[in-house]
Amino acid sequence: MLPIPFSRSSSATTTTVTALRALIAQRHAAPAACSSAESGLPSGLPQLDQTLGGLPPAALTEIVCDASSCGGHLLLAGLLATTRQARQRIAFVDASDAFDPGSHEPSSLEHLVWVRPHTPEVAFAAADLLARDANLAWVVLELRGIPVHRLSRIPAPSWYRLQRSLESSGVAGLVLSAHPLAPCARVRLRLRQSHRLLSLDEDQSALITQLEPTVERHRSPFARLAGA
Amino acid sequence: MKAPAFSVLLAADFSLQALRRMRSGRERNVPLALLSGTHRRAVLLAACPQARAAGVAIGSSPSQALARCPRLLLLPADASAEAEAAAALLAVGVSLSPVVEDTAPGTCTLDLSGHPAAQREPRLQAAVAQLHALDLAVSAGLAATPLLALYAARECPAGQVRTIEHPRGFLARLPLAAAAPPEHLQPILAGWGVRTLGDLTDLPRAEIARRLGAEGLALWERAAGESVLPLTPARTTTEFVARHAFDHLISTLEPVQFILHRQLERLCLDLTNAGLAASRITLELHLEDPPDSVSDIALPDPCRDAATLGRVLATRLDSLHTASPVVGLTLRLAPTRPLLRQPGLLDAALRDPHGFAETLARTAALVGTERAGTPILEDSRRPDAFRLSTPPELLPPPAATTAAPTTVLGPPLRRFRPPRPAWVELSDHRPSFVRSSDVTGEVTACVGPWLASGEWWRADLTWQREEWDVQLDSGGLYRLLHLPDGWQLEGEYD
Repeated sequence: MLPIPFSRSSSATTTTVTALRALIAQRHAAPAACSSAESGLPSGLPQLDQTLGGLPPAALTEIVCDASSCGGHLLLAGLLATTRQARQRIAFVDASDAFDPGSHEPSSLEHLVWVRPHTPEVAFAAADLLARDANLAWVVLELRGIPVHRLSRIPAPSWYRLQRSLESSGVAGLVLSAHPLAPCARVRLRLRQSHRLLSLDEDQSALITQLEPTVERHRSPFARLAGA
Repeated sequence: MKAPAFSVLLAADFSLQALRRMRSGRERNVPLALLSGTHRRAVLLAACPQARAAGVAIGSSPSQALARCPRLLLLPADASAEAEAAAALLAVGVSLSPVVEDTAPGTCTLDLSGHPAAQREPRLQAAVAQLHALDLAVSAGLAATPLLALYAARECPAGQVRTIEHPRGFLARLPLAAAAPPEHLQPILAGWGVRTLGDLTDLPRAEIARRLGAEGLALWERAAGESVLPLTPARTTTEFVARHAFDHLISTLEPVQFILHRQLERLCLDLTNAGLAASRITLELHLEDPPDSVSDIALPDPCRDAATLGRVLATRLDSLHTASPVVGLTLRLAPTRPLLRQPGLLDAALRDPHGFAETLARTAALVGTERAGTPILEDSRRPDAFRLSTPPELLPPPAATTAAPTTVLGPPLRRFRPPRPAWVELSDHRPSFVRSSDVTGEVTACVGPWLASGEWWRADLTWQREEWDVQLDSGGLYRLLHLPDGWQLEGEYD
């Protein structure tokens, strides 16, 4: 049976629901604002860290890579360097088994746990497992290169389960996808600009600063509840 | 009055309790009785309260017992279960006092003289509760002599502590049988009207000795609660091993995990008593058809927490498959000094090393051990040469020069594993069009060829390749490989 859309019945009901949402948001906003978990984690991308104040811990961020060669792994390289500098640990669940260690600075791999699952289902299970371990600062899930029909088999509750795991451990989650997939992503960024051939001769650190992710979604923890 | 200084921990029906605590799940709810053996004339030595309530009597034959209680499970004594229960009892005793005597099966005598008088009973109460958590119903007696303490423990219900402050009053009410009188003296004493220990000690000691001899004198001393023998301290545990033999073939995980949980609780208590921790776990599963399955697990940090060690073992067992059913197991913990490390302000050690090791083990069980770990680049120019190793427990501080990946040029490659076969059209000996299962497009710019080869000195490992970096009209930047058997798309620069 489908749920009944109660907001259409009358304007009075809509007002009541809005007021209720606002009340809940007001009740819960104060502790959330006080929580240190809400300060962003540096992503390694100066543009992103300046505009958003970093990426949210204990939440899911999705990077949608719209175009080929648009810098998903370059962003990962920036994250690897930043977390190495902060002596944090990062897990990379590579569902398409595409990570190339030789393309990265060897010292920026020392803190990396690279997981190479065979199927997207196993990738989700592994990400869920890793997301529960507070020894890690980041869990990155790469879903590009997986056929759409296989990704569609992943039930929506898996995303919410992953989100809950991140919330309980405080680990930051990052998903690299070709299309928007994560319904519960707090932040969704889009990379559209492909690299040019000349970029092969530039330093990775310089290329990272040239990445221009556009913010498609940036929810505060209770924004959706408040109807914002 | 002399202050009480001895205690006895007593597990009544010890063999039966030892059997029962090693049974898991539904088996625990089945009425249980202990048989004197497996021979035809075996009789019941003990029965659980459930069986006794059904009318099962001690000394009856198995068929008589089964007639009263059809669900009754009749088992002979299990040496490995008794050894484990005795070790648990002793371990709790050692946690209370350095002078502990393994007096008899299910009986352990402690010298508590070193404890302040006011704290003896509360500490004993805590020990009894701890034994209850280990599934041993124990009573405790606290008195001035070991014998008095034993009488007190016998007179006390399981789970409680009885302190004897006035021995004469306590002994006066105890039946004579409590002092175990020799059989030939019983009719004589009955003829004198001696029914209780108090009746006997009211008689002059010297007259008893003159009339009943040395045995009579010893009985009088026992009746007075006097003990002349010092305690024989139990040997200190130096080997942390537990063994168990199943009474039937085991083909599921649950009974094994249950026994391991029991054993780990006791072994961790032994480790704590010795001031040590486990650095390695060795689990031998004895199979019906040899050889045995042996798992050796190195722990990331010394540990003596039973729950943590249990999780480590459970993770290993989850991915373990044996060729035949399990008939027994041996669990061995390698002792080491516990790690005493003060966390530094800038320390990057793991917050929970055991949790991390467990996560890695579970992840490896999910994806395969060779498919999870920290990538280490091989000392080779062969493309895609790396291996995966166990992540380090401690992250060294990054060198100043590695603040940013400055030495690597270009965006990272997203590899296609395996490389995709491609059809490439050439124009003036350079790629001008690419078609593969993933990518198709006109080449708008390209650089190459980049020639590379290596390990020419080994015929089986020698490699040679020609690389091209191409930019397609669709916007992608790719690496093409030209090999003797054709073109391949090796990856996408990302």
